Amino acid sequence: MTTATTTDGSGRGKAGQAGLSTAEERAAARAPEMELIRQAQAGSRGAFDALVRQYEHQVLRLALHLTGSEHDAEDIYQEAFLKAFRYIGNFRFECSFYTWIYRIVTNLCLDQLRRKKTRREDRAVVLDNSGDEIDVLASVSDERSYSNPARELDRKVLAGRIQAALGKLTPRERMVFELKHYQGLRLRTIGEMLSTTEETAKNTLFRATKKLRTQLAELRS
Amino acid sequence: MNCELAHERIVTAAYGELPDEQMHELDRHVHACVECRTEREQLLALKVLAEANPVIEPDANLVARSRQRLEEALDALPPKRWYEWLSQRMVNNFASLQAAPIGACLLLIVGAGCGVLGGYEVAQSRAARIAGQQTPVAQTTPEPPGGEIANISSIARIPNSELVEVTYNQVVPRRRQGSLDDPQIRRLLMMASQSSESTTVRDDSVELLVAECRAGHSCQAEEIRDALMVRLRYDQDEGVRAKALEGLQPYVVEDVRVRDAVLEALMNDGDPRIRTSAISILEPVESDTSVRQVLHSVANSDENPHIRTVSREVLSRVPQFQ
Repeated sequence: MTTATTTDGSGRGKAGQAGLSTAEERAAARAPEMELIRQAQAGSRGAFDALVRQYEHQVLRLALHLTGSEHDAEDIYQEAFLKAFRYIGNFRFECSFYTWIYRIVTNLCLDQLRRKKTRREDRAVVLDNSGDEIDVLASVSDERSYSNPARELDRKVLAGRIQAALGKLTPRERMVFELKHYQGLRLRTIGEMLSTTEETAKNTLFRATKKLRTQLAELRS
Repeated sequence: MNCELAHERIVTAAYGELPDEQMHELDRHVHACVECRTEREQLLALKVLAEANPVIEPDANLVARSRQRLEEALDALPPKRWYEWLSQRMVNNFASLQAAPIGACLLLIVGAGCGVLGGYEVAQSRAARIAGQQTPVAQTTPEPPGGEIANISSIARIPNSELVEVTYNQVVPRRRQGSLDDPQIRRLLMMASQSSESTTVRDDSVELLVAECRAGHSCQAEEIRDALMVRLRYDQDEGVRAKALEGLQPYVVEDVRVRDAVLEALMNDGDPRIRTSAISILEPVESDTSVRQVLHSVANSDENPHIRTVSREVLSRVPQFQ
């Protein structure tokens, strides 16, 4: 099974974070990225393309997992980077570029989740670009499934139930749970991305886990 | 620690964000509380269950397709116009100012300080100007330098005030020393010869001019000759006229105008000595008809017997000259 790389606010894994102990080292590591941002602000298309390549996988991964649709993920990717290109002149280095671009993406995903919520299109499957259903779990490599088909079936059923439970969360709760549980972001970073406080993000996470436990209680029994 | 707080901290701890000191406290509470222990177990179970819905890496085709679509959209965007850049810069600058409240406050304080200082300076200068207008001119204008006041040119009263403006000319004595050949000295001597205030000045100046002409020092200028003729004809002082006549003697032969002036003096001057001198001066030009007629007239009808006698003597010598 493939899992998301655990990241912090600067967009690096925990191992990378451990290696950067001081603020000076972190600033030095971010210097090339800051230079790219400045060039992009000055109108360099090449610099902006480099920033896109740096963050596109993370953006698509988040959008795909949240929306469950390749088509929606592609739309969110498109809209997020177009917004970034249009408003990169407003970026003032008060936060990391990672936080800034994730803020754009999470807002777009929240809009998408709210639209979905009203349409009640909770699906346990992912739609591909042509709109056909694809089985997410089938596309995930898990050596255990080959050795035990019955267990694999149980896992698919379980995944469907979990997605249904996630679909019953409010968009904001879903987003906080996604960013904390699956993307591994710190609560303070989540608060920054959602333009709220760390404490509010913590309370939202608490509510989300409580609801999920209620929804999934029968699975444990 | 109550259970409600413990439940919250169980979630925070499960995701590795609970500080160590609170973690120890939570562990003690959970160890003693069955409900909270169950809560923690359920949360850990949820975390395990949630892994059944894993995050998948986006397909390479999806990434390539998304990137291509984005590039096409970016290519289709019109280039930013200058006013868009300008407005963006302005918004950024304004945002920077908002982000620097201390700087903004300092700017405000400095601006207010400059305004107050400028206002104070303007008020001071205005007050000084008003005070200056209310002070009599005699107190603000320095006393005129030494010298007589020649005349008053004009008097004007400033409306709605006690102030009067008097314009006057002042004579300031000056002194100049130089050679008689100095053009400036010459000019001053000419002016002195026409001075109406002092006979002495006129006398001295005419004497000097005459002596200069007799000495042959650049006396060919006609203005000196004219000045002497004027003095001879019109000066009220006989001494001045006598000296003017003396100065004209060298020119009586060559200049008819001088000869006429001397003849006028012979006929009209009130001083017998001047008329007698005029007769002697005219001796070299007795052959002139005008001179002979004047001499005949004087010899026959002048009131002064001495004049008549001298004139006859001169006329009696005429044939000898001829």
